[in-house]
Amino acid sequence: MLRPTLNELLGGMQRTILEALMPELTSPYAQGQAMSAIGMLAHAAAVLEAAPAYDAAEIKDLRATFAALLRLGNKHLARKSGLRGALARATRASAKNPADRRAMEAAMAEFAAAVALGSADESVARHVRAYLRRNLDRSRNLLGASIPVA
Amino acid sequence: MDQLRLTEYLKRKMPHAREHRVVGLKRISGGSSRETYAFDLQWNEGGETRTRPMIGRRDPTGGLLKSDREREFKVIAAMHRAGLKVPEPLYLELDASVMDRPFFIMHRASGQTGMGAFPAAEAETTRAKVADDFLGELARLQSLDYRECGLEILGAPENPEAPARIQTAHWAEIYERDRMGEHYPILDAAFAWLKANPVVTDRIVVVHGDYRSGNYLYDENGIIAMLDWEMAHLGDPMEDLGWASMIFWGRDELAGGLMEREAFYRLYEAKTGHRVDRTRLFFYQVLGNAKMAAICLTGIRDFVERRTSDAVMPFLELLLPALFDDLANQLRLV
Repeated sequence: MLRPTLNELLGGMQRTILEALMPELTSPYAQGQAMSAIGMLAHAAAVLEAAPAYDAAEIKDLRATFAALLRLGNKHLARKSGLRGALARATRASAKNPADRRAMEAAMAEFAAAVALGSADESVARHVRAYLRRNLDRSRNLLGASIPVA
Repeated sequence: MDQLRLTEYLKRKMPHAREHRVVGLKRISGGSSRETYAFDLQWNEGGETRTRPMIGRRDPTGGLLKSDREREFKVIAAMHRAGLKVPEPLYLELDASVMDRPFFIMHRASGQTGMGAFPAAEAETTRAKVADDFLGELARLQSLDYRECGLEILGAPENPEAPARIQTAHWAEIYERDRMGEHYPILDAAFAWLKANPVVTDRIVVVHGDYRSGNYLYDENGIIAMLDWEMAHLGDPMEDLGWASMIFWGRDELAGGLMEREAFYRLYEAKTGHRVDRTRLFFYQVLGNAKMAAICLTGIRDFVERRTSDAVMPFLELLLPALFDDLANQLRLV
């Protein structure tokens, strides 16, 4: 393994900013930016570690959700809603190797919109809501649930 | 901003004075849509030395909003003439050759501010005074006749349905522009819902556009000045009320960290003499969350595409889960 590892490098850069640069900075604005840069590096280290698992879980869940929607059959997808087309696009995107995550999310966006507008069948809505709940949980686990603080 | 060029500029603007000196020029955080600088101007006038605290706001190279500083300056000037609590605007410079980018200068009001909800550690008496002023100023803002204030320049909506449609279209366009090819299913759903459920306003007022805790200066006597007018426009009075009372700016029962939400609405009704229309309020709270998410995406894109090096921008990503959570709950997506 090459040393320092990427994570060790990121940690080292944080210490360099904190211990070597910060004491030399006199402007509060520059100090604030330096602190944010330290936070950025810490975030990068955490995301580097967690992002592959997040992406894999996301794709797996999208695939499973679209497969479940496909199993429901066309009778649950009103012709006028456009969801049949969205499901066909999602199925093609999920069959690719690697899966086309953006295309799958674009299709999921159409399903979510249909749920928001009340135009989705209840059994469809159940699958979409369950996916969105899991998606939000994953996002919160990866990014936290920050709000602007005083 | 360059101290020498700023001094020369202020000399030209104040020819009646002598011995101009810009003192303590420093960039400060806050107001992420502009570079903001604080300084004192000292000068001699009639043999007397005077000092005035000032703020310079310069267009950024990138950032959260693409807004027009001339429009912002004119709105602040109109609010100042109308007697609202705003910093006195002093000079607007549109010639980019003076200081690399357009900028304006205004008086620097005293007081403190925060980034979001009113600080929980503040005294209860201060909180009550700030809450009262917050809604009092909003009532005064919404009672202004925009024509008498010379604010037709903001573009009057053509009919009572237009404000909701215009704002939805505006922020949907920004989302489309700045999502960098990504799809955020909950945000897509929110814009679809907003387009399908426009509300009809009962009157057209001046909308601040970012009226919330974190955008005012205050002390123990209440609010000193409302800040950040760059998103001002004409529209529905429920827009500012909805934005100010979003759960996002506090995440508890206190609207903006100021006052229990229902009491907040009752005080608004008492101050304005207008009923809070719950349907319109809800619409603008949904729009508010979608708008804030779009603003975050603008900042992230500008950082990714190197239009700004502001180290705060990448952290905007961390705000998205809370906004999506709120939208998902509002639209029963979970």
